[in-house]
Order: sequence, then structure tokens, then C-alpha cells
Amino acid sequence: MVFLKRDKKISGEGGGLALFADVQTALAAEKVLKKAGHIVKLVAPPPRLRKGCDLAVEINLVERTGIERLFGEKDVYYMEIVPLGEGVGELLDIVKVADFGDWTMVKAGNMKLTFEKATGVIVNTSGGGCPDIPYLHAQMVGKKIGEAPQPKDIGFTLCATMLHRALEESLQIWQEDR
Amino acid sequence: MMMLITGTIPDKNLPLTVGEVAADGDYLTVDKQRFACAQGTGAMISAALTVTRYLKLDAPRIVIAGDIGDGDGSRAIYDFLIHSIGKLSPSVLALHYWLPDMAQTRRLCEAVDKCAKQPVMIADAASMYSAKAAGLASRFDVFTPDATEMAFLADPGATHPAYIARHLFNADVTQTPELAAEAYRLKDAAKLLLSKGAVDYIVREGEIIETINEPHVPVLEAIGGTGDTITGLVSALIYAGLEPHEAAAIAARANRTAGEMANATPATRVIDIINQLPLVFEQNLCQWSGVCCIEGGCDDRS
Repeated sequence: MVFLKRDKKISGEGGGLALFADVQTALAAEKVLKKAGHIVKLVAPPPRLRKGCDLAVEINLVERTGIERLFGEKDVYYMEIVPLGEGVGELLDIVKVADFGDWTMVKAGNMKLTFEKATGVIVNTSGGGCPDIPYLHAQMVGKKIGEAPQPKDIGFTLCATMLHRALEESLQIWQEDR
Repeated sequence: MMMLITGTIPDKNLPLTVGEVAADGDYLTVDKQRFACAQGTGAMISAALTVTRYLKLDAPRIVIAGDIGDGDGSRAIYDFLIHSIGKLSPSVLALHYWLPDMAQTRRLCEAVDKCAKQPVMIADAASMYSAKAAGLASRFDVFTPDATEMAFLADPGATHPAYIARHLFNADVTQTPELAAEAYRLKDAAKLLLSKGAVDYIVREGEIIETINEPHVPVLEAIGGTGDTITGLVSALIYAGLEPHEAAAIAARANRTAGEMANATPATRVIDIINQLPLVFEQNLCQWSGVCCIEGGCDDRS
């Protein structure tokens, strides 16, 4: 009965939970996130997701990249950020590569990055739907793979996380081909 | 009759702005604000505006706000729409880039339900993510997913395409019919899907009603904004009076043909594709749509 009652507190509207080792850290995390403008709330994690303390912060999972960066900047030590929902697995970790002659396109999840083979210059990014993606497109296109701003540093969302994976894979392909 | 397009623009300093959009070279303007016709909402609006200008219809009204990913502009748009949609009462409501927020999307749909006349609801990009994640997909009339997003709609657990199951991500374009069937079975699809890819599938209530694969311009997948362009075309063509499945088919053909006319490479900018659209319409719209008369007279090219 206690577990059922706790489970009811989780609305799942944010889609994700940040898990912590102790209650004090969870409280501090909530404060840091709210101050930064994130809409979050303290909840009891369901038993299957309990990693440390009995308190978690429900977050909008899409904002994972920005939240992880904020925790790092504010020295908030979290154990894990996990998706809510039955059957939800890990972040996609596979990529696909397409050869367009003078250009290579690398696809990670819903994001694609295309660079010119001869120069390593990023000529396009496509896919995605979160608001940092057009911003990253503007910041990255026209720059060399190894010199472009990195989505993990200036992006906020899961789309940015996927674009970062595409960038990392592109860099590896580019370096191997040199 | 009014078409309303909404989404974020990657300019942190752009406030919430509402008004009728106009073209200014490679830029768009609204209420003294200027923004680029580039990947995202800018490309979508520009494509829609190209249609309305060609057909001599009123330009789209837009609701935009600057957002580089922190969600500030997205929240401003949600709040505005939730409070104003009843008063605006558009005939077509096209939702695009924003920070997906299931609770806010639910509030918006509740506000739309209270409109005197229900708009045609179209979603792409993250507005489609939040609609699906909130269990509201079947409330929408049109979704325009790409291949990965099609897999996302078919994955019951995923709240974002980054979390789709590996086997679904590995599905190739020939499996789109199965993915679409699963999305409809789960009630995670809009009434009509235009699945964009090497083959474009138009799916209505689970049934594949048309596939489009010509002209074949595979590099379009690499060009940021070509999917956004298709969504803008679909929205404006529905606003012009076409049935959603007709609008979807013409949008898919127009995008491919514009890419071919632009001699597109992976390095092409989306504006160079959009700039071909008036010529694409001039040469094909009458034949594709079967409607060669527009307000102000019949098209003598028919």
C-alpha cells in the first residue's frame, strides 16, 4: 500500500527522474533547477528505479543535456537520470553512416550531421525538433568538425545529445580517413 | 479563415511576437521583427508563405519566440496559445519547434477543444513529440514524421526519439507500413501521416493511400529544413482548401521537385530549395491538384 501511494505521486508528465544518493542532495537539486527556470517537482521514485535515497526530482526528460550540465556547474552530485515508463530503455547508442560522394552523413537517433570529406567542414545538420537544434545548426554549419561548438556544451535537449553523438562519430571517421 | 503557425526561432533576444508574416529576401518579418528562413520554424513558415503568395491567399499569422533550447520562448508560446487560441480561432493550427512539454500540450488541446470551430491540427518536430508522449496523437489531423520519428510513434514506451528501441531504429524504409500500423494500433498517430523519407508514405487511419518516390533526390535527407518545408507546404495547402491527403501528396512532390530543380547537394541551404517552389507550382500545381482556378481568375496555364 505504501508503494502504491508513492507511485501515485509520479505524474510522469516530465518523462524523467533525476536520482540522488541522499535527500539533502535531492532537495538542493530541486532548488538549483527551479532557480534556473526548470519546471520540476520532488517525487518518490518507484521501487524499480530506486538507486539511493527515497526522493527524486521529476524533470522534463527532453532537457537532460542542459540539466546534466547545470548539475556539473553547481556541484550537484546525481546518480542517474532515467526515463519513466514501462519498457523504456537506454538512450540510442548506435549510428548509421551514409556516403554521398564528396560528403558523409552520420545519423544518430533523430539527428543527422553531414561533412565534406576533403575539408572536414560541416555542411549541414538535419532532423530533430527541439528549440536548440536550429541554434546548433546556425552555430555548427560552415565550421570544421573538430573546431565547431559542441552540442554537449551549448545544447540543452535530447536532440542535442543525439547531435553530439553524430559529431563524435563524424570526428572519428574524419580522423581515420586522414 | 486564418492559418496560424507557431514555433520557436533560434534567437535568444526575440520576444514573443504575433502577427502576419511577410517575406524580405532570405528573411521573414513580423511586427518589426526579422528572422532567417533557415532550418526549423523559419523554413516551415517560409514554405507556407510561398504557397499563400502563389495562391493569393492571406499570409499566415504566426506566433514565434526566441529559444535556443532553455525553454523560455517555448513557455511563452504555450502560455499565449493556451490563453488566446479561443479568441484567435484559426481554421488551421500548425505547431512546430518548441521544448516538448506534455502538460502544456495537454492544456493547449483542452483550450482548442473549447474553440467554437475546431481547427485542422498539424504537428511536426517537437510539438509532434509532446503530442505523442502525452497520448494526444489521435487528437491531431496531420503528423509529418521522418523515418526515425515514424519508429518513435510506433514505440509505446518512448517519450522522445532518442529513446526508441534499437530494433525500431534499425527498421528501413520498407518497414514504414508496419511501423505505421503499429502507431495506429497504439493510437499514437494523427489521423493522417506523411512519413518523409526515400519513399514518402501517406497513411490515413492506418491505411497506406499513396507512396511517392519520384523524383528521387536522396541528398534532401541531409539538408536541414527540408522536412520543415514539407510541413509548411502541407499546412498551407490544407488552408487553401485541399483535403489533407491531397495536400500531403503535393507537398511531398513539390519538395522533391524543388530539390531537383535546385541541383541540390548535401551542402545546399534550405532557402535555395524554397526559392524554387514558385516555379514548381507554376509548372505542376494545376496538374497535381486538379484545381487550376484561384481567387481572382482561372490559371491560364491549365
